[in-house]
Amino acid sequence: MILVISTCKVPFSEEEFVRPITEIVESCGYSFHIKRYHEKIDFDEYSKIIVCGTALRDFDYLNYVDVFKPLLNYAGKVLGICAGYQILALLYENRLEEVEKIGIHKVRVIEENPLMPKNEFYAYFLHIYALSRTNDKLKMLAVQNGEICAFKVLGKDFYGVAFHPEVLNREIVERFVSL
Amino acid sequence: MRVCVLYSGGKDSNLALFKAWKVFEVACLITLFPRSEECYLFHYPNTQLVKLQAEALNLPLITEACLDDEESNLKALYKALKGAREEYGIDGVVTGAIRSTYQASRFQKVCWDLGLWCFNPLWLRDEISLLKELLDHNFEAIFTRVAGYPLKKDLLGKRVDERAVEFFKKIRYYVNPSGEGGEYETFVLDMPLFKKRVKILEYEIRGEDYDATLVIKRAELIDK
Repeated sequence: MILVISTCKVPFSEEEFVRPITEIVESCGYSFHIKRYHEKIDFDEYSKIIVCGTALRDFDYLNYVDVFKPLLNYAGKVLGICAGYQILALLYENRLEEVEKIGIHKVRVIEENPLMPKNEFYAYFLHIYALSRTNDKLKMLAVQNGEICAFKVLGKDFYGVAFHPEVLNREIVERFVSL
Repeated sequence: MRVCVLYSGGKDSNLALFKAWKVFEVACLITLFPRSEECYLFHYPNTQLVKLQAEALNLPLITEACLDDEESNLKALYKALKGAREEYGIDGVVTGAIRSTYQASRFQKVCWDLGLWCFNPLWLRDEISLLKELLDHNFEAIFTRVAGYPLKKDLLGKRVDERAVEFFKKIRYYVNPSGEGGEYETFVLDMPLFKKRVKILEYEIRGEDYDATLVIKRAELIDK
């Protein structure tokens, strides 16, 4: 069972940021549960977790990073998308910087990884915060104009992508659920 | 939350409005009038008729004219949204964008710059399922423009119905079934939120197969 976590303060945004993810999960033949970011969650009930993005003006999830602390001891696999990337970055004590990025940009993969086998690809971004450097708990996987747009948590199968793979790179989500 | 809806009068903006209506206070509609069908950001045919649709919805309408180039489109959008924020106190904007990252990223940017939320309830939806949803909710939409093979001009004026959905299912690998790339345009004559329906009194079809427009010359609102 895959857990899909909504980070949307306004549930109407879930049509835009959660439903496209659950449709990909479903099309790969997996079942899923949806939980919201401020709920108490027993992560261990799930083999994989996807933390979805939210609207550009929505930052409420940043007040609930502590809800995700049990992930530090979670043995399954996690994919953080945009807001989910930010939550993972903060959970592992990284500092987000203000980087407004809206639209399509070319991503350069700098470290071989199971989610992004290509060297370069175009991705759709919609964020205000991202990382430009990481501490030693994260490994950079891909960059875009000085921004770290994909990382892996060292020693874990936790991935963060700053862009929205559901828009132009749904194969990234497909590969994650098949890991 | 108070929102405005970017409204072209076609099926997608009407469906986005229909969804927004259930959860938000819809304060007004915004329509931009591009000069021609060359415009990438906003729909062109019959946009003058949105005034009738706004009346049918009993909603205020903010309009802004623009040229076809991107800079003019964005300036007009910015001005219209700023006006809506000042006049109606909107917090957010609802659009009917489905898959166009060109449209979506520009709407997102303008909304961000104005401090507004941006909602795209149809985003990445399967286009055939959207057409079916229109039928499920008794939307009455007609084709008003065709622009590309194999869309012939005899489609103009016809309703978006079961047959049309089946047709687009068959040709979905050639034509985007939602027409979001400008392959076709629609005009909504009636939908559940309309207090009255639009009746076309006079129209003209211009153009040839694969590139034709139904121009509505006169229309009125009638009781439902």
